[in-house]
Amino acid sequence: MSFKGRQQQAQAIWEQFTQPGRLRVLIGSATCGRAAGALEVKQAFHEALAEANLTETTDVVEVGCLGMCFAEVLVELRGSDGTRVLYQGVEPRHVKDLVQAQLINDEVYAPLALAMMGESGTEIPAFDKLAMIAPQVRVVLRNCGIIDPTDIDHYLARGGYSGMARAFELGPDQVIEEMKGSGLRGRGGAGFPTGVKWGFARSSVADQKYVICNADEGDPGAFMDRSVLEGDPHAVLEGLLIAGYAIGATIGYVYCRAEYPLAIERLQGAIEQMHQEGFLGSNILGSGFDFEIKIKKGAGAFVCGEETSLMQSIEGKRGMPLSKPPFPAVSGLFGKPTNINNVETLAAVSAILEKGADWYSGYGTEKSRGTKTFALAGKITRTGLIEVPMGIALSTIIDDIGGGVLDGKPFKAVQTGGPSGGCIPAQFFDLPVDYEHLAEVGSIMGSGGMIVIDQESCMVDMARYFLTFTENESCGKCVPCRMGTQHLLRILTAITQGKGTIDQIETLRKIGDTMKKASLCGLGQTAANPVLTTLRYFEDEYRAHIEENRCPAGACRALITFSIDAATCTGCGACKRACPVDAISGEKKQPHSIDESLCIQCGSCRQVCKFDSVHVQ
Amino acid sequence: MGSISLTIDGRSVEVEEGTTVLEAARKAGIAIPTICAHKDLNPYGACRICVVEIKGVRGYPTSCTTPATEGMQVTTQSEPLRELRNRTLELMFSGHPNSCLVCVHREACEQYRPTATKAARSTRCGFCANRDECDLREMALKAGSNELHLPTLYASYNLERDDPFMDRDYNLCVLCGRCWRICEKIHGQPAISIINRGKWARIGTAFDKSHVFSGCTFCGACIDICPTGTLTDRFARWQGKPEQEITSTCQLCPEGCSVVAQVKEGRLLAYTMTEFSQEAGLCALGRFGAAQILANANRLTRPLVREGEDLIPMDWQGTLEVTASQLAQHRGKIAVVASASTSREDRYLYGQLASQLGGQLITLAVNAGAEDSQISSLMQSVEKGAITAVIVGGNLVPLELVTRLKCSVIIDALPSPVSEAANIVLPAAILSEAGGTFRNAHCRIKPMAGCSRAPGDARPEWHILCSLGQALNLRSFEHTSVAGITPAIVNDPPPEPIPGNPRQNVRELATRFRGHLLADILPSLGAFGLPATPKTAVTEPTGAGFTITEKKEIAPNMHFFKVVAPQVAKFAQPGQFVILMAKETSERSPFTLVDWDAKAGTISLVIEEVGRSSRELASLAAGETMAHVSGPLGLPLAIENKGTVVLGGGCYGIGAIYPLARALRQAGNRVICAIEASSSYLLYMQDTLAEVCDELIIATKDGSEGVRGGIQEVIAQVADREPVNQFIAIGCTFMMRMATAVSKELAIPTLVALNPIMVDGTGMCGACRVTIGEDTKFACVDGPIFDGHAIDWDELASRRSAYARQEVQALSQQVDLTALMHQAQGNGCSCGR
Repeated sequence: MSFKGRQQQAQAIWEQFTQPGRLRVLIGSATCGRAAGALEVKQAFHEALAEANLTETTDVVEVGCLGMCFAEVLVELRGSDGTRVLYQGVEPRHVKDLVQAQLINDEVYAPLALAMMGESGTEIPAFDKLAMIAPQVRVVLRNCGIIDPTDIDHYLARGGYSGMARAFELGPDQVIEEMKGSGLRGRGGAGFPTGVKWGFARSSVADQKYVICNADEGDPGAFMDRSVLEGDPHAVLEGLLIAGYAIGATIGYVYCRAEYPLAIERLQGAIEQMHQEGFLGSNILGSGFDFEIKIKKGAGAFVCGEETSLMQSIEGKRGMPLSKPPFPAVSGLFGKPTNINNVETLAAVSAILEKGADWYSGYGTEKSRGTKTFALAGKITRTGLIEVPMGIALSTIIDDIGGGVLDGKPFKAVQTGGPSGGCIPAQFFDLPVDYEHLAEVGSIMGSGGMIVIDQESCMVDMARYFLTFTENESCGKCVPCRMGTQHLLRILTAITQGKGTIDQIETLRKIGDTMKKASLCGLGQTAANPVLTTLRYFEDEYRAHIEENRCPAGACRALITFSIDAATCTGCGACKRACPVDAISGEKKQPHSIDESLCIQCGSCRQVCKFDSVHVQ
Repeated sequence: MGSISLTIDGRSVEVEEGTTVLEAARKAGIAIPTICAHKDLNPYGACRICVVEIKGVRGYPTSCTTPATEGMQVTTQSEPLRELRNRTLELMFSGHPNSCLVCVHREACEQYRPTATKAARSTRCGFCANRDECDLREMALKAGSNELHLPTLYASYNLERDDPFMDRDYNLCVLCGRCWRICEKIHGQPAISIINRGKWARIGTAFDKSHVFSGCTFCGACIDICPTGTLTDRFARWQGKPEQEITSTCQLCPEGCSVVAQVKEGRLLAYTMTEFSQEAGLCALGRFGAAQILANANRLTRPLVREGEDLIPMDWQGTLEVTASQLAQHRGKIAVVASASTSREDRYLYGQLASQLGGQLITLAVNAGAEDSQISSLMQSVEKGAITAVIVGGNLVPLELVTRLKCSVIIDALPSPVSEAANIVLPAAILSEAGGTFRNAHCRIKPMAGCSRAPGDARPEWHILCSLGQALNLRSFEHTSVAGITPAIVNDPPPEPIPGNPRQNVRELATRFRGHLLADILPSLGAFGLPATPKTAVTEPTGAGFTITEKKEIAPNMHFFKVVAPQVAKFAQPGQFVILMAKETSERSPFTLVDWDAKAGTISLVIEEVGRSSRELASLAAGETMAHVSGPLGLPLAIENKGTVVLGGGCYGIGAIYPLARALRQAGNRVICAIEASSSYLLYMQDTLAEVCDELIIATKDGSEGVRGGIQEVIAQVADREPVNQFIAIGCTFMMRMATAVSKELAIPTLVALNPIMVDGTGMCGACRVTIGEDTKFACVDGPIFDGHAIDWDELASRRSAYARQEVQALSQQVDLTALMHQAQGNGCSCGR
C-alpha cells in the first residue's frame, strides 16, 4: 500500500473515532493524570458503563495530557448526540453521575464541566475560548490529549508521517534548508539553530553517524518532554527519523530517563508500530533510507542531559561531560558524527516538515521563531503545560493563561530555565518571552520550566533550593562546579539561617563568576544563575537576612516567629489541631497563643487559619 | 600529519597537527599551570587551571583539551586569567586540607618539624606524607593569593587500608582523575573510577569492594601519578622524597621487568614503572614487594658459624677461612644449589664453584622449593654418601638434608629453619643491594643496579662467592667488581617462566623468592591467596586487660576512649597521665588523663593517631580491651587560686586541659580556655570545655573559626585586655614553645605539660630526660608539668626526634588485614569482622 493509501485508511479510522455515533470517554492518562487518579477513574467508568449496559457502545480511551494540571483528572465525554464536554477534577465518586448525565441523558453535568469541545451554545465556554487555551498555539502539543497515543492510525490521520514522506521527496539537503528556513532553535535550552546543527553533522564524513533524541528531562518542575512522549510519541520519533535522514545517520537513540516508565512504554509501542508500517528498517517507503531506533534508559543523573555526558552514558561509561571541541557533529557517540536534539525540537521538526518552514516561522519573533512549551508551576492559579508563540508577553502567560498569582497575592518574580536559569522580577512583567529578551534580563529560556513566585517566597531560599539540586547533581569532574556549588550552597544555607556575613555576598558573586567562566559543561556554567540573578534583583533580601536577621518573605524558618493576633482570632482551634508540636494553646472560642520555645516555624497554623490571624515576623 | 604554526604570548610555535595548545606552549617553553593534565594521559579538562585566552574563541578554553590550529593566537598570561586561575585554585583547595598553606606560622613550623607528622588521615600539609612532592602545594605557594577565604570542606572519609599495599586518604583527593585514567590506559578496564555525585563524588571501586577483589593488579601506577598524598604506598608513605631514581631490573620473577629504583638514604623505597604505559606495567610483587623484602626486620646481617648447638657471629675473614677449610674436606662430594632468581654473575660463580670443587650444580626455578625433584635426587645422593656437603643459595633444601650433613653452607638474606640448622650462614645482599645482569624468561639480558645499602655485614653473592673461591684457591675468582665477571659468562639459559601473568592477576604472582614462600616474608600477600607456611595459632589471653566502654573518633585522628581502670580513676588528679599498651607486645606510650570517674571506675582519654602505638590503640573498638593501663603517673598540677588563668590546648591538649580547667575554676580562678586547631573541622570538645570555663576562645590557623592563628595570638590578645596570672599550655611541642615565647615577653608565669619519649614512666629508664633551667629532670616523675620559661626546647625537640626513622619503619611493619584475609578465604568466617 502506498503511503497516501495508508494515510487515507487511517483517516477513515479516525473519522469513525471522531464522528458521533458511538459514545466515547477520553481520560487524560499521562503520568500526571494517573498521579491524580486517572486509572481509578477509568476503572470506575468501566464499572459504571457495565452497570448501565453501555460497555458495548462506548469507547473508553486513555489519551495524553491537555496540559491543564490544575484540573486533573480530565475526562472528555461524548454523548449520543455528539456533544463533547470536558470535565475537570473527576474522581471515581463522580463517575456514575457523569455517565447518567452525559452518556445516558445527554445532559451536561454542570458541577464538573470545564469546557465544551468544539462550538459551545451554552454558558459553558468553548475549549478554544478558555482563557488558558485561547492565547496558546499548539504545535508540539498538537495531538496531546486529543489522540490515542498507542494508535498510529490516529497520528497518521492527523498528518503524521507526512513530514517524513515530504522529507524523502525533498532530499537531505533540502530538508536542512527547510529547517534553516523555519528558524527553529534547539528547545533543550541552549537555542542553537537546528538546521545549522544538522548541516554540521551532514557535512562530517564517516562510515556511521548517529542521531539522538535527548529525553533526559531533568529540571525540577519541568515535564514538557514527558507529556509529549506520553501523549504523542510518534511526533518525536518521526522528527528523529527526519533528522537521521537529513544528516545521513542510520541509527537513532532515544535517551530517556528511567523515571519515565510510561514514556518508555509508549516509545517502545510506537517503535514497534513503525516497524510494522515499514517506517523503520531498510529502504523506508522506497526512499533508499535505512533507519533503526533504540531506546537507552538513563539512570537518573541530571548531568546526562548534557550532550557529551549523555553520549558517554549510552556508551556504558560514567555520565561525565567531555571538553568540546571535538563537537558531537564531528566526533560524538562511539567517536562518530552525531546529532542530538531534544524531544520538543524533534516534535516540532515533524510538524515543520509536514506544514512547511514558512508556516512555522510565521509564529514568534524575528530571531526566535515558532512556539515554545512551558511547564507553568509555582504560585499560580492554573498550573499546567502550555505552548505559546515566541514573543508572547510574560504577563499574558501569567495573568491570562495562568489565571494570575495564586490567591491573588502580589506577583514577585518568575523563575525560568530551572536550576540553570534565573529569575525575572515584577518590573519585567511585560517582557516578551523569547531567547533574546530572557537573556537580556539575566535569565534563560531553558527547557521551559516557569515557576511563579509570590511575595511569600524568599528569593534566597529559592536560590538555595536550586543549589541543593545542582550541588547534588554535579558530576564532580571539574573543580569550579563541584566545589563552587558546595560553597554557594553553604553560604546560602548560612544566610537563610541568619548566620551569613555581608562579605559573603561578594564571595557568592565571585564564585558564581568563576563557575560561569571556568566550568567544563553547561551544568556548572549555569549552576550559579539562580544566585546571580536573585542577587541582581533582590540583593536587598539577602541584606535583610544578613544585616537585620530578617526574612522579608517570612519563609526562612530560622529567622521568623509566628504569633496569633488576639484581636482577630476566633478561637476556632484549627491552628491548634494543625500544629505538629503542640505549641499552640487556648480555650475554645478564646484567642489562642503560640509558645515560641516549642514552635518549629512550619507555618501549618498560618496555612489553616481562615481569619488571617497568624502573623509571621 | 602536517605541521601547523600558531602564536602563543607573541611567540610563534610550529607543532604537529593534533597537538594541544598546552603541549604547544610547553614546546615553546611557556609554562601553563595544570593539575589534571599529564604527558602520559589523554586530555581530560577537569582542574580548569590551564585556561587560556584564544583570539576569536569565546570565554576561557582549557589549553589541555583545545587542539592547536593554524594561525591560532593564544594568550597564557593576563589579569583575567590570573584571577580565574587563582579562584579556581582556591576552590580546588577548599576540597583539600590546606590550613598549613594559609597559616602564618607555616615557615617556622616546617623548620621546626622537618618531617611531616605520621597521622592516620592527613589533615594538613604538616600531617601529609606527600608534603615534599605535592603538586598542589607547589602551585598554591607559587600563586600566593587567597582572595575568597573559603573554609576547607573536609569530607571525613575513613582512611582506606583494606588491601596489602596501599593507604588511600580520599580526603585529600581533588578528583584530577589521573589515577583512574592511568588505570584505564594500562589495564583497559579500570579497577577504579569516579563514584557517586556532587560533593560525594570520589574515586572508588565498583560497589566499593576492596581493591583485592576489584580487578586491581597493584601495579602502583595510580600512586605514582597521583599529584597529592591521596594514594600512597603504605611502606614508602612516610619515608619522604626519593633522593635517587635509577633504572634497574626486578629479579623477583623470570619476567625481569625494567624498573626505576627509588632510593633514599641508601634504602630502596620502591620499584616503580619506567614509564606510564601498558608495556612498562609492574606486578604487585615488583612494585610493592621488593622494598619490603629488603626492609624485612629478620634479615641476616652477620656471618654465622656453628659452635655446637649455637650459631655464633663471626667476621667475614674468619668465617670464610672456616668455610673454606670445611669445604676442602669434601671436594668431589659437594652439591651447589642456587635459585633462578639470582643474577647471571651469581649463577655463573655458583657453577664455577660446583665444577671446580668437583660437585654438581642444581638450579631451581623461581617457584620451586625443597620439594623439587632435583632436590629429591640430591637427597638420595646424600643418603648414599655421594654428597657430603652443600652450598645452598637460599631456602632451597629440606631441613633433614642439612641435619644429615656435617658441612652445609647457606648463603641467604632471610632466615629459615634450614639456615638455623646449617653449619655456616653467609648473609647476602639481594635485589637492589647487589648489582649485575639478569636474563629474563624472554631471553633479554638486562642490567641490575646495585643502588641500595645491604643491612649489617651482608654482601652481594658474587662478592661472597669470589671470596670463597679465593679462600679455596680456585681459579678465576679474582674479581673486584660484578662488571668484571660479566664478560666471562658464556652460556646461561633463560630461567623457566612462571605460569600465568602476574602483571594481570595478583593470584598468579610468583610464590617464592630464593625458596622462601613470599607470603611468609610478606604475610599480607595471603590476601591474594598466595601460599604460606601454616603457623601455629597464638592464643591471646582472654578476659585480661582493661575494657573499653566507649570509643569514637571525635575529630579526624582524635580518638576519645573511656576505659575501665578503677585504681587509676580512684587516685587520679588533674595533670596526671597513664601509660597504655594496646597489646601485650605493644610499646608503652603515655597519654594525659582527660577525665575520670572514681565511682564508675572509668577514665577518659583523647588519643591522637600519629604513629604505630597510637594506631594500635586507635584500632581498638568499644568492648575490646587494652592490655595495660598504668597510672596515675606524674605529679599533679598544684591547684591554687591564682586569679585569671589561661589554659591553652592544641591537638590532644584540647582534651588534656579539661580536668585542669575544671579544678582551677572550682578553686575560684577565672578560667579562660583557649583552643587551637588548623581548621574548624579539627576542633572537638568545645561544648564540654565551655561548661568548665568562664570563657572559651577558639583559634584556627586558617581562620575558619574564631581568631586566625594559634594559642600565641590568643594569649597576646587576652593579656592585652586583662591581667593574666597564670598561663598553662598543653599540646604539640611547637605550639607550647611558640606560646611560651610570647608569655615570656609578657612576663606571664607559664606552665607546660611536656611530652618527651617515655618508656617506663617511673623514673628508671631516663628516656624522658628534660633540662629545666640548670636542672635535669625526668618528665615522668618530676613532671610532666614544668616552668615553660626554663625549658631547653632545642634539646627536647632533638630528643623527641631521635627515633624518627625507626618510627616510620615501625609503621610499615604493622599490617592488620584480618578482615580482608577472612574475606579472601571465602567470606565464610564467623569472627564477626
